[in-house]
Amino acid sequence: MRRLLVAIPTLLGVATVVFLLMRLLPGDPAVVIAGPEATAADVDRIRHQLGLTLPFWQQYLSFLGRLSHADLGISIRTGAPVIQEIFTRVPFTATLAFISLLLAILIGVTAGVIAATRRNSTMDVSISGGAVFGASMPTYWLGLMLIILFAVHLRVLPAGGSDRGPISLVLPAITLALFSTGLIARQTRSAMLEVLGQDFVRTARAKGAARTAVLIRHALRNALLPIVTVIGLQFGTLLGGAVLTETIFAWPGVGRLLVDSIGSRDYPVVQGVVLLLSVSFIAINLITDLLYAYVDPRIRYG
Amino acid sequence: MRGRFFALLALACLAVTACGTGGGSQQTTSGPKHGDTLKVAIGIDPDTLDPAGQTTTTASQIVDMMTETLVTIDEKGALKPLLATKWDQSSDGLTYTFTLRQNVKFSDGAPFNAQAVKFSIDRLLSPNTFRAQPGILGGKTGIDHVDVVDDSHVKFTLKTKLAPFVAALTQTQSAIISPASVNVAPNRPDLITQPVGTGPYKFGERLAADHITLNANKDYWGTKANYDTQVYKIVPEPATREALVKSGGADVMVLPPASDIPALQSDSSLKVILGPSDRTIQIIINTQGTVQPLLQKAEVRQALNYAVDKTAIIKSVMFGMAVPLDAPMSKSLFGYCPVGSSYNYDPAKAKSMLQAAGAAGMTVKMVAPTGRYVQDFQVAQAVAGYLRDAGLNVQGPATTDWPTYLSTYVNVPPSQSRIDLSLLGWAPPYLDAQQQFEQFYSARIPPAGLETSYYKNPEIDALIEKANAGTDPAQRQKDYCDAAKTVWKEAPWIFLYNQRFPFVTTAKVTNVVGLPNEKFVTTWASPA
Repeated sequence: MRRLLVAIPTLLGVATVVFLLMRLLPGDPAVVIAGPEATAADVDRIRHQLGLTLPFWQQYLSFLGRLSHADLGISIRTGAPVIQEIFTRVPFTATLAFISLLLAILIGVTAGVIAATRRNSTMDVSISGGAVFGASMPTYWLGLMLIILFAVHLRVLPAGGSDRGPISLVLPAITLALFSTGLIARQTRSAMLEVLGQDFVRTARAKGAARTAVLIRHALRNALLPIVTVIGLQFGTLLGGAVLTETIFAWPGVGRLLVDSIGSRDYPVVQGVVLLLSVSFIAINLITDLLYAYVDPRIRYG
Repeated sequence: MRGRFFALLALACLAVTACGTGGGSQQTTSGPKHGDTLKVAIGIDPDTLDPAGQTTTTASQIVDMMTETLVTIDEKGALKPLLATKWDQSSDGLTYTFTLRQNVKFSDGAPFNAQAVKFSIDRLLSPNTFRAQPGILGGKTGIDHVDVVDDSHVKFTLKTKLAPFVAALTQTQSAIISPASVNVAPNRPDLITQPVGTGPYKFGERLAADHITLNANKDYWGTKANYDTQVYKIVPEPATREALVKSGGADVMVLPPASDIPALQSDSSLKVILGPSDRTIQIIINTQGTVQPLLQKAEVRQALNYAVDKTAIIKSVMFGMAVPLDAPMSKSLFGYCPVGSSYNYDPAKAKSMLQAAGAAGMTVKMVAPTGRYVQDFQVAQAVAGYLRDAGLNVQGPATTDWPTYLSTYVNVPPSQSRIDLSLLGWAPPYLDAQQQFEQFYSARIPPAGLETSYYKNPEIDALIEKANAGTDPAQRQKDYCDAAKTVWKEAPWIFLYNQRFPFVTTAKVTNVVGLPNEKFVTTWASPA
């Protein structure tokens, strides 16, 4: 409960910083929306309608006032409530990030464990090499290569969009997952190596426990702490990293909303999205902390 | 143990997802059958489908499929009747009476009549309409009021004489909507999200940032559309749009990656159409240069024009997607005339002119946007290269995102400008030189407007004012032409080119056409 209360000043801080940063950015939303060819009268009218003629502090107070009853305001770009703009996109980003994380955990942890148990073998070298490759591959390039291969040449997967059901998710999920998979695999490998060399693993083996049981129940369980940390951090990275992936694959998620909104200086939507991402981060950190206690019973929260 | 752990982990992830989504589920549309659905990939998610708030040609084209204006333009850019069959101007030039087409219905069944015209125009002019952009139809010089004469006649009274008035009515902003439809949710009187007009298509559905579906209007008054459904897919990345067209995920795409144009042109399963556009692309010269005062001299600005090889830039950087300028406006505007002498690439002449003006080796600061116009930043880099060849010390081009870029000019009076050269495009929304000359009319120098070169010539101002209010087309044409000749000679810009608007269709689709106002029209597309 105390931890939840601590989140409130954090969010207030985030809200203030975003508010200030957006207004420090050069660019007048009214002109951006109206376009350079617009008449001065039209620009003035839009500025007035959007409340941009009010002094800075007044805009800030009304922003906080609305925020206190969960009203994020109206999108400058579309005129729709910010809440509505965000919540039509959230399912897309959440699905993409969740599937990618699942992929990254399954492949990353498995590969990491295998690499650790066959240390210095060809398998280990190729997994470690693959992990570095995955973690350092630019999303943008990789995404386009996958599109050219699977959509244009093989014609087995759609190049982009969300209109083909689950198979629309395959390429974006793989693209987004690759970075995290590499990171998780490397983390798993090094954590496992550390644990595998310890006395209790030798004891477990000595008492005749099955090889997989030793690996999973004794070694992996004890190596989990740093892995869970990385995974928790990765979920946040995935939510943010979805920006590029969503753009390449025409996936209608929150990342693109953020890009479009910054591009048109849609202050209320940018504020809303950043707040939402902050809430997600805080929630994920909280869950990660709770998982620590589960994974390692020595950790207790009062 | 292992099972429990992963189950818990999955549960935790699910919980996060669920509280994020609010239980929302993913919407999908079923795959269309070929022949009855046309799929079009566009790059931007339209900000609004409200006719009154239109600002981009891509969004306007979609709205044009659902709503129609009194007057429109044909493929050559000439005025053409649409919902009005004819119009008369009073002798004082202040009132216009339009005769409306009979037996036309809105797609909600309501009759199209003079009341609907008055309603739509009043709504466009109303300060309560969200982000309405009446342009020259509003403000201190535009429409004063609209009167219903009878069911099929409507009279517009202007505040001042406004020569391009009928041309301005071709803009999507002045489209006629069904008055009753603004009260049907989700539409609101101040903001329409599902326009109801008289057009050949009706609004179907929209998923933000994903797609807009339009269905053919079976009761359309004119020739009916060939495709039952058109789906506009929002695909921001050009390479992905290209992949969609190549892989059958879309039938039409706009703006392919510029460097892929030659390859696309040689692909027999595709058709590349270099649509017309009235957008001029130029390097704006700060003619009141406070940082580089040498730019105040016309000879120096002319020298810069001679220093740049536009033909080579069009060929190598624009991949042929442009036509060199031979006037300070595109050929499709009313008021255009070729100005005669052109600035052919002549580096020796440029150097000697710079030398003579004492500007050899001068320092200039240059900026350009990235991704706003076709190959914008790349073109600016090429121009900077030519200027360096002419001996100038070019700082830049620096680049920023579009909103930041615009703030280079917006509300920046000449005395505060720190930029010497900047790349900008200008596309008049209606094809009249009046709009282009906003770029040379000193009353629009920031902060009063966006006359970006800060060019000031009282003779030009007088000619522009005379032509803008003129009632005799021949005289207007002559005035704009005279003004253009002077502007060309005094060179407030490095005149580059008239950009084309490229789009690609598969060989299975015909009759997707480009209009001179940079709209690409899929309305009358048909299977080949």
